[in-house]
Amino acid sequence: MSNTLLDVRNLRTEFATQDGIVHAVNGVSFVLEEGETLGLVGESGSGKSVSMLTVMRLIPMPPGRIPSGEVIFQGNDLLKLSAEEMRQIRGNKIAMVFQDPMTSLNPVLTIGTQITEALELHMGMNNEQARKRAAELLKMVNIPEAERRLDDYPHQFSGGMRQRVMIAIGLSCSPQLLIADEPTTALDVTIQAQITDIVKRLKRELGMAIIWITHDLGVIAGLADRINVMYSGYIVETAPTKELFANPLHPYTVGLLGSIPRLDEGKREKLTPIEGLPPDLVNLPVGCPFYDRCRFRTEKCLQENPPLMSVGVKHWSACWNYEDVRQQRDAILKRTALPVAGTPQS
Amino acid sequence: MSTIIIRRLLWLPVLLILISFVTFALGIYGPGDPVQVMMGLRARPEIVEQVRKEYGFDRPFLVQYVNYVGNALRGNFGYALVKNPGQRVSDLIAKRLPVTIQLNIVVLFWSVPLGIALGIIAALKRNTIIDVLVRALVILGFSLPVIALMPVLSFGMSRRHDLGLLTIGPFLPVGGWKGMFAPEIIMPAFVLGLGILAIYTRQTRAAMIDVLSSDYVRTARAKGLTEWMVIMRHALRNALIPLITIIGFTLAGLFAGSFLVEAFYSIPGVGALAFDAFTSREYYVIMAVTLIGATVYVIFNLIIDLAYAFVDPRIRYKSGS
Repeated sequence: MSNTLLDVRNLRTEFATQDGIVHAVNGVSFVLEEGETLGLVGESGSGKSVSMLTVMRLIPMPPGRIPSGEVIFQGNDLLKLSAEEMRQIRGNKIAMVFQDPMTSLNPVLTIGTQITEALELHMGMNNEQARKRAAELLKMVNIPEAERRLDDYPHQFSGGMRQRVMIAIGLSCSPQLLIADEPTTALDVTIQAQITDIVKRLKRELGMAIIWITHDLGVIAGLADRINVMYSGYIVETAPTKELFANPLHPYTVGLLGSIPRLDEGKREKLTPIEGLPPDLVNLPVGCPFYDRCRFRTEKCLQENPPLMSVGVKHWSACWNYEDVRQQRDAILKRTALPVAGTPQS
Repeated sequence: MSTIIIRRLLWLPVLLILISFVTFALGIYGPGDPVQVMMGLRARPEIVEQVRKEYGFDRPFLVQYVNYVGNALRGNFGYALVKNPGQRVSDLIAKRLPVTIQLNIVVLFWSVPLGIALGIIAALKRNTIIDVLVRALVILGFSLPVIALMPVLSFGMSRRHDLGLLTIGPFLPVGGWKGMFAPEIIMPAFVLGLGILAIYTRQTRAAMIDVLSSDYVRTARAKGLTEWMVIMRHALRNALIPLITIIGFTLAGLFAGSFLVEAFYSIPGVGALAFDAFTSREYYVIMAVTLIGATVYVIFNLIIDLAYAFVDPRIRYKSGS
């Protein structure tokens, strides 16, 4: 049994705006084991990026606020650390790669400087050692002529190369946890595949844990051990990846799966979109946040927001009517039932 | 990079010819007659004509222009006509230019760094009381007219004030020039620098706020860099790029602004010389000051364009390849 690396408990993040308090993250709890890859899936505004920025303590405060929660990383609550202690963890033990490689690198500093500065700071290397290590890192992410390119500026790199540089920066201090915030979203599909392949390979070689944020279930399928599905600041379903795809037990997850294009369909099937919009994060409903868009909704859903309930082996869903979902989802997804491991046969 | 320098240098003479032509045309066709000014209104017409001939003012415009430019290239900008008649304008300017340069150096040395520092602080402490105070100072610096500020300041600082029980002051000497390290420079340098302080504070604050919310600053923070490194290395370097542009305007503005201030504080610089020349229609002096001012402006702008390329690698490489 591997050890717990990150234990997030009841994490909340809010932002004070002119329209009122935006409840971006509403009591998120999950556990990440060492070396595990966790997918964080959800649409824009579901709180997946904000929750991870909160873990990194990169939320601008004000207007941001963390009214409750614990983020236990290797036994310490990150939210209780001083700014200086947290700074020594950032980039060193927990690294983050961001969505847009075109704007995430500093345009006036060389690639070499941007890689070496963290090495010099966290690993105590001198400039020469850091440059050597930086060249190794660039080679690791398949950038040719690495030594020469250290003196180049970001604008001399393509988008895919810049994202590989970002990954090299993220991995430079051998972090235990790499948070990847939609690292492939801004890239071409072929480049996306390159980036995910590099991350998969490096994970095998280096063994760090990864939290991969995405709105694309297709990208995460081959990558993650487990997936958290987020909706309006809540985790609504969490399960091992195979289980989630075979046995989705939250209407929102079913909706997400229904909106993935399928290549194995004989005839051209229309995608099934999820109708409607997510709720206003300023005025969250008392009941289930997915109520307005849900085809399984009942009176109970309007009155009480369902907590995460155990619905299988390592499988939790925040839906009162998950049994109905279980029975009807294959018809909705227009597929034959997939074999489900470890669930009671009905 | 080198091609852009050469291209800009080739433009320089073209610009200078244009500037000298316009300046000269304004001098010739502008209001007032230099000979009349020199001779006084009661001079006999035939003597006026004779002097006009002597100075070559009767010749065709282009001939006068070519003569003037030819002399100017050899460092001769003509002669003073009214005050110190017969003295070479180039000597007058050469004597006074160091004073103006020293004054401007002092102005830039206090106002630009302080403006940048205040701008950074205001951006970091955005929407706090500190930010509000800095912004109030900026508005003050922009809106206080020099012409009103100078007498009020002089009254406040250079007189003895009787406040019933205690008398205070005078704090500062007013007027005169004893070099850039004497206290006489404080008031004129303060007045000239206030507007510059305001510009740099406002621009730095705006640029820093913009840059601090950028993705690459978030990346820098995510790397666990110290706040000092994030601000000085990652944010400020980017924020300074748009600031370079206004340096050119600042220098030009200083030159123009020092007319009034030098005249008011009796500082024997180029500004005061120009001020006297304008009021007494000292024809050659006006042209020389305008020409030199415009030339300095053009050259500074060239230097600033090059500095731009030096600071921003995106410009450097685009022009190089």
